[in-house]
Amino acid sequence: MFANPMRQAPVMVLQNNTKREQGKKAQLSNIKAAKAVADVVRTTLGPSSMLKMLLDPMGGIVMTNDGNAILREIDVAHPAAKSMIELARAQDEEVGDGTTSVIVLAGQILQAAEIFIEKRVHPTVVVNAYFKAMEEILKITEELGVDIDVDSEEDIKKIVTSCIGTKFSHKWGDLIVDLAIKATKTVLRQSGKEVEIDLKRYAKVEKIPGGTIEDCTVLDGVMFNKDVTHGEMRRKIENPRIVLLDCPLEYKKGESMTNIEMSNEEDFKKALESEEEEVRKMCEHILRVKPDIVITEKGISDFCQHFLMKGNNITMIRRIRKTDNNRLARVCGATIAHRPEELQEEDVGTLSGLFEVKKIGDDYFTFVTESKNPEACSILLRGASKDVLNEIERNLQDAMQVARSVIINPKLVPGGGALEMELASRLIEHSKEVEGLQQWPFKALASALEVIPRTLAQNCGGNVVRLMTELRAKHSKDDGLWYGIDGNKGVIANMKEIDIWDPVAVKLQTYKTAIESSCMLLRIDDVVSGMKKTKKQAAPQQEEEPRPDEGHTFGDERDG
Amino acid sequence: MSGVSIIGEREQGQDVRTSNITAVIGLANIVKTSLGPQGLDKMLVDSIGDVTITNDGATILSQLEVEHPAAKVLVELANLQDKEVGDGTTSVVILAAELLKRANNLVKNKIHPTTVMAGYRLALKEMIKYIKSNLTVKVEDLGRDALISAARTSMSSKIVGSESAFFSEMVVTAMERVKTINNMGKTKYPVKNVNILKVHGKSSKESMLINGYALEMGRAAQGMPTSIENAKIACIAFNLNKFRLHMGIQVLVKDPAELEAIRQKEMDFTKDRVNMIIESGANVVLCSGGIDDFALKYFVEAGVIALRRVSISDMRRIATATGATVVTNLSDYETSDEKFEASNLGSCSLVQEKRIGDYDHIFFEGLAETNCQTIVIRGANEYFLDEVDRSLHDSLCVVKRILESNAIVTGGGAVETSLSVYLDDFARTLESRELLAISEVAESLLIIPKTLAINAALDATDLVAKLKVFHHASQTAEDQSKKELKHYGLDLINGKCRNNMIAGVLEPAISKVKSLKFAIEAAIAILRVDDMIKIAPKLTEEDKMRLAQQQAAAQGQDFF
Repeated sequence: MFANPMRQAPVMVLQNNTKREQGKKAQLSNIKAAKAVADVVRTTLGPSSMLKMLLDPMGGIVMTNDGNAILREIDVAHPAAKSMIELARAQDEEVGDGTTSVIVLAGQILQAAEIFIEKRVHPTVVVNAYFKAMEEILKITEELGVDIDVDSEEDIKKIVTSCIGTKFSHKWGDLIVDLAIKATKTVLRQSGKEVEIDLKRYAKVEKIPGGTIEDCTVLDGVMFNKDVTHGEMRRKIENPRIVLLDCPLEYKKGESMTNIEMSNEEDFKKALESEEEEVRKMCEHILRVKPDIVITEKGISDFCQHFLMKGNNITMIRRIRKTDNNRLARVCGATIAHRPEELQEEDVGTLSGLFEVKKIGDDYFTFVTESKNPEACSILLRGASKDVLNEIERNLQDAMQVARSVIINPKLVPGGGALEMELASRLIEHSKEVEGLQQWPFKALASALEVIPRTLAQNCGGNVVRLMTELRAKHSKDDGLWYGIDGNKGVIANMKEIDIWDPVAVKLQTYKTAIESSCMLLRIDDVVSGMKKTKKQAAPQQEEEPRPDEGHTFGDERDG
Repeated sequence: MSGVSIIGEREQGQDVRTSNITAVIGLANIVKTSLGPQGLDKMLVDSIGDVTITNDGATILSQLEVEHPAAKVLVELANLQDKEVGDGTTSVVILAAELLKRANNLVKNKIHPTTVMAGYRLALKEMIKYIKSNLTVKVEDLGRDALISAARTSMSSKIVGSESAFFSEMVVTAMERVKTINNMGKTKYPVKNVNILKVHGKSSKESMLINGYALEMGRAAQGMPTSIENAKIACIAFNLNKFRLHMGIQVLVKDPAELEAIRQKEMDFTKDRVNMIIESGANVVLCSGGIDDFALKYFVEAGVIALRRVSISDMRRIATATGATVVTNLSDYETSDEKFEASNLGSCSLVQEKRIGDYDHIFFEGLAETNCQTIVIRGANEYFLDEVDRSLHDSLCVVKRILESNAIVTGGGAVETSLSVYLDDFARTLESRELLAISEVAESLLIIPKTLAINAALDATDLVAKLKVFHHASQTAEDQSKKELKHYGLDLINGKCRNNMIAGVLEPAISKVKSLKFAIEAAIAILRVDDMIKIAPKLTEEDKMRLAQQQAAAQGQDFF
């Protein structure tokens, strides 16, 4: 009441705990965060890259040099860094390879903008220049793309080899390459002009520790980790007739609430008998189509096993996954049936040549192979330890994605930083035509592209300054297009001669993602943090793979 | 203490006015830098760490947790503008704050708030009159280009600014296609009919417009076809699981065999329903509930695409678009049987499953009844997509407003400057005290061109002065050739004044009118406040007792 009316308490508009960072400070801190993320993965670029070992809180280990896999495990707090990590994911889902390059490049592009921010150039000028440069980059990249023949095994092999070249599994030479190409070709489905390659659903990687790397194969069929339900069933059948079911082969109560009123002992016996009778009927329906093998996603009762095995010598497998069942259906040509009484001749799968249950290590595995025209496959990976296998799987996934990108868009560009170098030199040339202030950021972006060959040179321990100057000199000449860094030897080499290639699709995606996201971060001039979450805005993410039936299996996936 | 006291805080008179206005200005300062083509974005981080990157005034303000009551009014103002017009949220907030700031100065100089308010109201009336009579241009005179320019103008401040040529074309095409004539005979352009999907990967330039509707889901079983031409669509709002009786209903059977019959019947029920749907000619089935695996098999065999768990809002939209009826049950009123009428089916020329990025999408193209449009946004990461979504939504609203009201005005500060010059002259014709308020409104309007210039790092004073000269000339000159000067606004790239009508910086007239109205009304609402009482939280019985005891004790002490 006696307070001086002139001295007012500060007016609080926002809540106390919100923090704000404004203007240059916000921009610079975003750039710093992005750079920090880029530095994490920098050493994993190129053929002489090193792996990262990540320990999660549970004590599990991940060993990898896959950019996405590394960043996925890292928990960051800075919002800009989070945005960077998203990039790796987008790249991985779209083309599957180049996750490290995209992060390194985005980091560098942002860093290139730093000096302009310091000099008080308006961010929109930088952003517009960047977008302009991106258009130019995409145009040149498309132009430089070399067409290849998709049908020629050799051409595809070249490219997948150079993709694997930067990975851990590079040691085993062509092995992984062959696996990737074979798997991709297997799941390729062509209907008219549309090419469908669904690696996620139909190419399954199965990892079994033990054995040697050389034992890895792509099956002309599928395999899964299950054994027959009874020891005496046949474990090897040639030209089997396969019935696939997704219902339980046991007595099951209906959905509605039903009670039986029993008044005497007879009734009870009768009830049990009729349960048995139902299962028997089910079995008879199955017998009608004369299968050799019955496979179901649900359970099989003992009685049913007994009935089908004893009299009819049928092999049974229970509780396989829905996804395995789908693959199996494609391999053997069967339709997955639900009601045994509706089984028809067409539902029986006859296309595969061999059914076999093998014991590998301590586990039993079922193989359905020698299929005539498999449109799905399993890739069997063997190796010393689980961690190694995990890394090989990641490499293989990348390689398959690359193979897929090439088959869909059969164009290649030279790898080893040659393309980036060429782009840089052409853009710098072009920058002279850019009007006004935009010229500088345009040029800066061009030089930022050099980060790829530079990092390659760094990672293989070459003399960075000398290599880069030499490379720049090569690219300034007309015939220098093919020169890049040979990441194994640390020298300048002609990429055409040593066959280092990248698919255009991967490169284009890398540039687009890196530049667009950098622009987004540059446009920010105010970071407000610490607000409470009020509304749930984001729609729930789509599930990775719908598995509606997983609930019905009773927890033990591995029984059999 | 004497008289009636209030439990809580109370502020009165000039204090409360100043405090309110300081808060409002504080809030306006937050969004100020995001105005105009050279405006920058804000990054908002909530306590969980979720990030929003945006340039949209309404989004920024609603994400911030504003505490101050007067500032809250402004947040609501932005939301109102967003709902009513969809664009111009930032400018309305800035304008309202400026109006208040100037009003406060008047009040400080002993002009009663009611006079100021009256002046503001009068100014508003004059402004609207002037816009309608002098500044608007009919779209028919300008054609489709005007629409594209307007869409582009609304995008120019956003992250898609540099790609605005591409997106504006897309937005205008989409809006033109969703044109409908409602039962009142009016032509409507519902923005809701443009569905926006976000899939990360690729670049923003690969976003596409699809003439039809799209759902983000895959088909229910892999055995179904991926595309169907001349689709007949059934929309079913019940599930196709095994039939079950409602809770609490028990079935009592004597004979165990009947139990099995019940079980079979449960399946047959659904089977009959499925067959009924298939027999009616449907080849695409949308189901809002689940579809049991056994039921899927019938669809697979009939070559029908079935989709399960379609959200009911999506289903309704597809139903209206294709002319289908959403069927909630199959009972027939005349007989006790169930039936599915073929008249319930909708149709479209193509239903297709496509993979975009890593996710499956179902597209409905060539819809029979209304035209739904789908824009699939691609881009580097989720934040980017969200921001593009918001920008496109704003642009869609702008195009809708123009198409429905058919009138546009020039942007880039042209309207504001013109009004300011006009009001200044108008004020001089008055003899009352309102004169002062009106000339303040005239001054306040200039905040828009000023902020635009400041954000572009240009000399605001110089540019705005130049603009005023142009507009004054256009309003006073007899010469017809000078009339065109009224379209002069700022060119923020080159830092000059230019004819924005020719340059294609256009905004819907209704958006300008509404934002003036909202800004002035909000300013008046806040100005009217001269007393703020914050009620302290209610005391519980216990607290009261304790207080009374304390008081009694204190009094007792005084007494003795």
